Amino acid sequence: MLQFAADVLVRAVDLALIAIALSAVYSLIRFPNVAVVQYSVVGAFLAIAMQGAGVPLLLAGAIACLVVAALAVFFNMAIFERILKIGSANALIASLALSMILSAIFLVAFGSQPTRLDLPVSRAINLFGARLTVNQIYSVVMTVVAIGLYALVLFQTPLGRQMRATATNAELAQATGIDTRRITNIVVAISGVLAAIGGISLAVKGAVSIEFGTNMLLPVFAAAILGGLGNSMGALAGALVIAVAETLVTNVNFGPLAGQSFFYLPANYATTVSFIVLVAVLLFRPRGLFVSGVNRV
Amino acid sequence: MFDFWLHILIIACIYGMLALSLNLQMGFGSLLNFGHIALFGCGSYGAALAFTQQWGLLTGLLLGIAFAVLLALFFSRLGKNLGTDYWAIATLSIAEIMRIVLTNEVRWTGGAQGISGLTPLFSNLAYPTSQYARLALMAVLLAATLAFCQLLIRSRLGLALKLMREEPNLASALGYDLETLRRTIMVTGGVIAGIAGFLYAHYFSFVGPDQLLSTETFFIWGMVIIGGLANNYGVIVGAFILQIVMANVPFFRALDLPTDFVSAARPFLIGAGILVFLLWRPNGLLSERVAGKNV
Repeated sequence: MLQFAADVLVRAVDLALIAIALSAVYSLIRFPNVAVVQYSVVGAFLAIAMQGAGVPLLLAGAIACLVVAALAVFFNMAIFERILKIGSANALIASLALSMILSAIFLVAFGSQPTRLDLPVSRAINLFGARLTVNQIYSVVMTVVAIGLYALVLFQTPLGRQMRATATNAELAQATGIDTRRITNIVVAISGVLAAIGGISLAVKGAVSIEFGTNMLLPVFAAAILGGLGNSMGALAGALVIAVAETLVTNVNFGPLAGQSFFYLPANYATTVSFIVLVAVLLFRPRGLFVSGVNRV
Repeated sequence: MFDFWLHILIIACIYGMLALSLNLQMGFGSLLNFGHIALFGCGSYGAALAFTQQWGLLTGLLLGIAFAVLLALFFSRLGKNLGTDYWAIATLSIAEIMRIVLTNEVRWTGGAQGISGLTPLFSNLAYPTSQYARLALMAVLLAATLAFCQLLIRSRLGLALKLMREEPNLASALGYDLETLRRTIMVTGGVIAGIAGFLYAHYFSFVGPDQLLSTETFFIWGMVIIGGLANNYGVIVGAFILQIVMANVPFFRALDLPTDFVSAARPFLIGAGILVFLLWRPNGLLSERVAGKNV
């Protein structure tokens, strides 16, 4: 049981940061920016490349986050601000096009082989009966700290208040003297940092290949939509729900249902489950599970 | 070399039909269908299923169309209470679910290896003639689809669709049922995409899950956006241009570039093409014609 909880936690950590980043951007710029998922790949690959060049890991991670934040702001100003004037549908298509370009560039720059951070291979340790590797624990801690800091900024600082005000009613926020364009770009930068940390925390746990952007796309969206797009703390809950669903499906013995003693679904179906959860939620609770609550960022 | 161009033109005709069907949904109905390739896959796997069960060509075609209609109905049911962007993501996930299920249900679909050996069309003719016959058939079907789409958008239904796209509230105030409109156009586009899938399966005599990757949907999207959203002639132009460009990408290999570069060229070109056109020429090569004028 504890092992199950540990598996869920590790998987949720994979999704949570990127889903929160996606939701945070959506709260201000009303289209789902698919490229955010690729930003996390950019972060992971940059950190790996810099560490390979001899930069200490912490510094490499920090630089990667800043570069991704700058890239996110650049793409937002150069591409999305312009295309949004035509319509949010076009912006969604543009973000897809941008992620295709990014993944093509990374395929050329890093090749199709999975790469990894140069970390000592850690032995699994026993934590209250659940087996976790040290690197997995690092990645969980990284994610929890990042989410904590983000929540602190969002709910406890004047900047966070401005961010929430802009998300709730941009015109009103502007009328009260908030520079909404600046706030939007700050949120875009923060989302870039969060996505990059998400990517790096994945790279801490294991090898990262060029496909990981594509593979993460739908589970991350499932988590964000489940929490109600634009509600970043909802995205955290969404990530947990998706992680539970995925872990359950691959760990539960469906034998009794199928009339056999052992019947496990193929592991390939784990991701399918998150898509099915997503489609089911969209069918019955189209605005996500958590939107009926307080309408905050 | 001539054979090669013949082959490219045949495929371009099939893609032209796909682009026309997506254009009906996206261009005229403004439905952001990111799962279009799944409708195509219904047609190709319908053909494959009929082939493995030896039910004959016509059954395969009907089966493919039936699958496509069912999926299109499900897509439109899903769209009943969803915003455009949510719906787009939902269609993308359904296409992915379908691809993963097809990869894993090996008994029916041949899994990742797919199903090969489908009877090519006109296989009873001698080699060069058979290829000409295929090109003629595809060209005729493409022309027929074009004529059908042109008739459709000039009909009452087409006008209603355009009204729904521009002023949805006005459209419902005038008594149009938006849900029925969307469903009709999803199913119509789905049937065309299913037929295209059937033709593709019987041209390549191979059906596999890799043909249903979501990048393929964006390939069709690229054709529609570059050619010109809501212009039926434009999207066919877009289909031919993109198909011809992509077919020549493998020749970059002759320039001694690394393999990864060649495999990255396709997504890069599609992505860059879409982005460049969205930024600098959002109406595409041939823009929509309203009242006899290009807008």
